[in-house]
Amino acid sequence: MQEPDLPLLDEAALAELAASVGGDMAFVTELVEAYLGDAPAQVAQIHAGADAGDAASVVRPAHTLKSSSATVGAQRLAATARRLELASRNEELPGAIDALEGLDAEWQATEAALRAWMAGTTG
Amino acid sequence: MSTGIALVVDDSRVNRLVLARQLEALGLDVLEAENGIEALERLRAHPTEIDVVLLDVLMPELDGYQTLEAMKADEAIRHIPVIVVSAVEELESVVRCIELGATDYLPKPIDPAILRARINASLAAKRMHDLEQEYLDRQTALTRTIQRQKEELGRFLSPQISALISSSEGEALLSGHRRQITAVFCDLRGFTTFAEQAEPEELFGVLGAYHRLIGEAIVEHEGTLEHFAGDGVMTFFNDPVVQPDHVERAVRMALAVRERFQPLTADWRKRGYELGLGIGIAVGYATLGRIGFEGRYDYGAIGNVVIMASRLSSAAGPNQVLLTQRGVAMVEGLFEMEDVGELNLKGMTRPVPAHNVVGAAAHEPAVDGLRDDRAVADHV
Repeated sequence: MQEPDLPLLDEAALAELAASVGGDMAFVTELVEAYLGDAPAQVAQIHAGADAGDAASVVRPAHTLKSSSATVGAQRLAATARRLELASRNEELPGAIDALEGLDAEWQATEAALRAWMAGTTG
Repeated sequence: MSTGIALVVDDSRVNRLVLARQLEALGLDVLEAENGIEALERLRAHPTEIDVVLLDVLMPELDGYQTLEAMKADEAIRHIPVIVVSAVEELESVVRCIELGATDYLPKPIDPAILRARINASLAAKRMHDLEQEYLDRQTALTRTIQRQKEELGRFLSPQISALISSSEGEALLSGHRRQITAVFCDLRGFTTFAEQAEPEELFGVLGAYHRLIGEAIVEHEGTLEHFAGDGVMTFFNDPVVQPDHVERAVRMALAVRERFQPLTADWRKRGYELGLGIGIAVGYATLGRIGFEGRYDYGAIGNVVIMASRLSSAAGPNQVLLTQRGVAMVEGLFEMEDVGELNLKGMTRPVPAHNVVGAAAHEPAVDGLRDDRAVADHV
């Protein structure tokens, strides 16, 4: 992990998001569900591109994962995705091999944290 | 109430949801697109409805740059403001987007206050553009209406008056001037009786044929039609277009009208109407210009010459073309005439000497300007 200090899930970011939509928790939940539904495909695309040695095809899914992870407060995954985006953009993916290797586990931890958060908010 | 329509273009559903939600909170209706291709489809389907585009840069299919380029190349959608949504660390791509024609940029994560400010600025710019466009459209429509009305008007006016309206000296001529003219007045003998007895369809049929005939002759001889009043038609020459040969033109027109009138009389006689044509021609000074009131103006001639032509026309027997003494002198040798003596005309204090124009001279002068007096002498 390159960013061990970052929280897996920044609940303050989620609270901010909720505040920005007038405290509509149903909407935030819907958003998190959308994120949980879409992120696995982005993770898979990153792996596929890296395995094929096609750095250019990693840039976009990494970028999307970075930005949507940041939105739902998944800070650690957002930082990893950002590293992957920059590395693939600069054709330096081999230098970010640890990020690639840790991606799946980080995604699973993020998913678990978000599901636990939702279970907590929806009661 | 919707304050506008925004198109959110982002391949991330999460980002689209957040942005759409925030835009809706600002009172906007939101359309979404997952990539540039979809965005262009939506824009082209609603070129006038979409007020602002929020564009992500990194997308599959067609990215933000290509989308901007395609928008700017399309006349119908190039004016729609584009706000690039981008992380602060991607400032370089923002610069490129602005060079490609983006209006503004919105840093991620999105701050609602900044979003509101950017959206309001873009909507204001769009409204300004729309107003400008509306103004231009209205101008174009107005110009088209004026052009059409001018053409319509042309059908009511003689070609000379119609051209005068569009000319630079038009205003000066319309405001009034004095000039020598030849006035020609045509009317029908027996028309009042006919008008009282005939059915409206017949009346208008006869009038229509008569007016058509005179109208064609006026255009051919480049006369200025002053007005139609039932069977009375007043025309003059030498104004607004100057015609050195105005008397000759007037007489030739009168002869053409009389000649073409004969087949009509024959036809009418078969149907039981006895109608004859009387023409009076006078030469003299008149005041010419715009006469009337706002909404109904005529280009008219005022002066004794006009009254004289009208009175001569009334005095003329069927198929007579009566010309005043001054007119006779100005076309000497060109036409065969007979002296009809001095006429006592209604409203005239003194008797008026006049000639009846029988027709064109048997042989017209061979050299211009040289008039052969003997030609007249031979035929009188």
